[in-house]
Amino acid sequence: VNGGSLVVVADDEDDILELVTTIIERAGHRVVPVRDGAAALAAVRERRPDLVVLDISMPKVDGLEVLRLLRSDDETSELPVLLLSARAQEDDVRLGFATGASAYVKKPFSPGELSRRVDDLLAPAAQSDL
Amino acid sequence: VNAALRTLPLARVYLIAGLLAIGLYFLLPWNSFSQELLYDAIGACSAVVVVLGARINRPNQLLPWYLFGAGLLAFSAGDVVFNLYAEVWHKDPPVPSVADVFYLAGYPFLAAGLVVLVLRMRRRDRWVGCLDAALVTVAFALCQWVFVMRGVAKGSGSLVDRAVALSYPTMDIVLLAALAFFALTPAWRTAAYRYLALSIVVMLFADELYAVSPDSYAGTSWLDAAWMGSYILWAAAALSPSMRALSERAPSATPGLTRSRVLVLGAALGTAPAVLVAEQAVGRGVDAEAVAIGATILSALVLARLGGIVHTLDRLRERERVARAEAELAHGRVAEQNEQLREADRLKDEFVALISHDLRTPLTSIMGYLELTLGDEDLSDDQRRYLEIVDRNADRLLRLVNDLLFVARLEAGQLELHQSELDLAAIARQSVIEAEPRATAKGIALTCRAGDAAAVRADKGRMFQLLDNLVSNAIKFTPEGGDIEVSVGRVNGSVQLEVVDTGIGIDAKEQQQLFERFFRTSTAAQRQIPGTGLGLYIARAIVDAHGGSISVDSEPGRGTSFRIDLPLTAETVTA
Repeated sequence: VNGGSLVVVADDEDDILELVTTIIERAGHRVVPVRDGAAALAAVRERRPDLVVLDISMPKVDGLEVLRLLRSDDETSELPVLLLSARAQEDDVRLGFATGASAYVKKPFSPGELSRRVDDLLAPAAQSDL
Repeated sequence: VNAALRTLPLARVYLIAGLLAIGLYFLLPWNSFSQELLYDAIGACSAVVVVLGARINRPNQLLPWYLFGAGLLAFSAGDVVFNLYAEVWHKDPPVPSVADVFYLAGYPFLAAGLVVLVLRMRRRDRWVGCLDAALVTVAFALCQWVFVMRGVAKGSGSLVDRAVALSYPTMDIVLLAALAFFALTPAWRTAAYRYLALSIVVMLFADELYAVSPDSYAGTSWLDAAWMGSYILWAAAALSPSMRALSERAPSATPGLTRSRVLVLGAALGTAPAVLVAEQAVGRGVDAEAVAIGATILSALVLARLGGIVHTLDRLRERERVARAEAELAHGRVAEQNEQLREADRLKDEFVALISHDLRTPLTSIMGYLELTLGDEDLSDDQRRYLEIVDRNADRLLRLVNDLLFVARLEAGQLELHQSELDLAAIARQSVIEAEPRATAKGIALTCRAGDAAAVRADKGRMFQLLDNLVSNAIKFTPEGGDIEVSVGRVNGSVQLEVVDTGIGIDAKEQQQLFERFFRTSTAAQRQIPGTGLGLYIARAIVDAHGGSISVDSEPGRGTSFRIDLPLTAETVTA
């Protein structure tokens, strides 16, 4: 049984981490929740997820730095990464994509919208699994 | 009664009556009893009128005028006694006689009156007046001694005779000193002042002529006119309403040397040499001691006077220096405050940006969990309604945060436009579709009239924001059952967007402030219609950034219409 895809979610806010986890789990995926950038990098290396959802403002290593490290590693350079941030200005969004984000969702977000974006990003992976 | 009397030209009436009386005096038989009676009457009458005048005009100080009255009365008493010797007792008055006592008593009263008037003045002014008066007095005293008194002092006659004869010129010096003190102190130069000064000058003139040759004027003479005129002028001064100003403080004179002051100083310095030359010319012996003493005193006084002027100028310069330093300090303080204000402004912008960001995080939780909960089909109708209210308010909060952030960036000069070719008509249609549910919920008919494509070069996000602001405002301020129409059309090379509502309208005098930051109309505040006063400020900022213009036309109770003109792009014009 394919228990859906595996998603690493990183956010330092517990409430939001739980919210995102719930939304993605309800969409039928498995989630590895972590609270900072370093943990996110470790989880990616260990669990080989299909998607990473990153908050930008996080302690230790911030979301953009995590994204940069993932992109510089051959093994994860193609891994879909969704940035989820309260930095809602156009400059922030542009910087996110320039760093290598696959998608950018501004906080506050609607659960339905997040769910759709996650599915969009996972669709090719799901197909390759077939 | 006093007030009524004050309105009459009493001084002039008395002056004319007095002159007529003087004329009558010379028509009467000379050295007759009637002539002497008229003379005494003029003197006594003037003394009484001086006191009456003071009571009518009620100056701040009555004392000087009572002293003047007493002085004139003493003179008059002297005149009466003098005439008693001639007409009643038929003998020459002895030396000294009772008449001399009265005459000599009059001068100190008059001088005291003048001094009391001057004592009202500021201390500095008094000091200057005092020095100048001393100069004039010493110069006059020098002449008086050399030309009048020395002859008497060294002449024949008993000691008492000579003492009495010397006391008159001495009293003249006293009176002149008081006059100079009074005249050289800053005071109001009114009619009363002129009468008073003229009166004393005339009196001194007559006294001096008499002193130089007493024998020529012993009986009735034209000189009597001067003494009588002096009495009448003194009374006229007291009757003139302007005499009240003599007790008021006059503006201080300039501290520097005026022309009249220079003349006084120069004349004082020139007195001693002039007296020497005159003595030489007349062929009398030179009184070296008197001239030397007089010259020394005069020089010392001139030096003191100049020293005072230099001191005053120094003080003024010092005051100016202090004032200048204070001004510079104040200037510096203003610059510092401006710098602080700029810094505060910058901090405020930073703060707003930070807060906006930090508010988004809790809003994410609120709105996210809310939507999850609302997806639950087991909710009761009430629960659903309540949660929808929470949702609406969370939405409002988010909008406010976005507005604040937008304004903060705008004021920091960070508003960036990502312009592209857009069809404003399509954007208007889309905005109306999105706003429709809110209008329908309020029972408002929201329509869109945007047929032809209207191409503008603009930032798509900002155009949606602009339309959303205007349409949301219209919905907010239009009562149930109202109409809102959004229209887009081309007018003379520009694209015109109009949002017209049948809402509560805006007062004419508030329309000018409408686009100011945080401005809210009084009606909106009264009716507690929610809002921050940022919507239209942002709308104008967006329109301005696109090189367009926004205007409002409104009538309270009838509705409001906002019109926006944006430049039409070249392609559309040629198309």
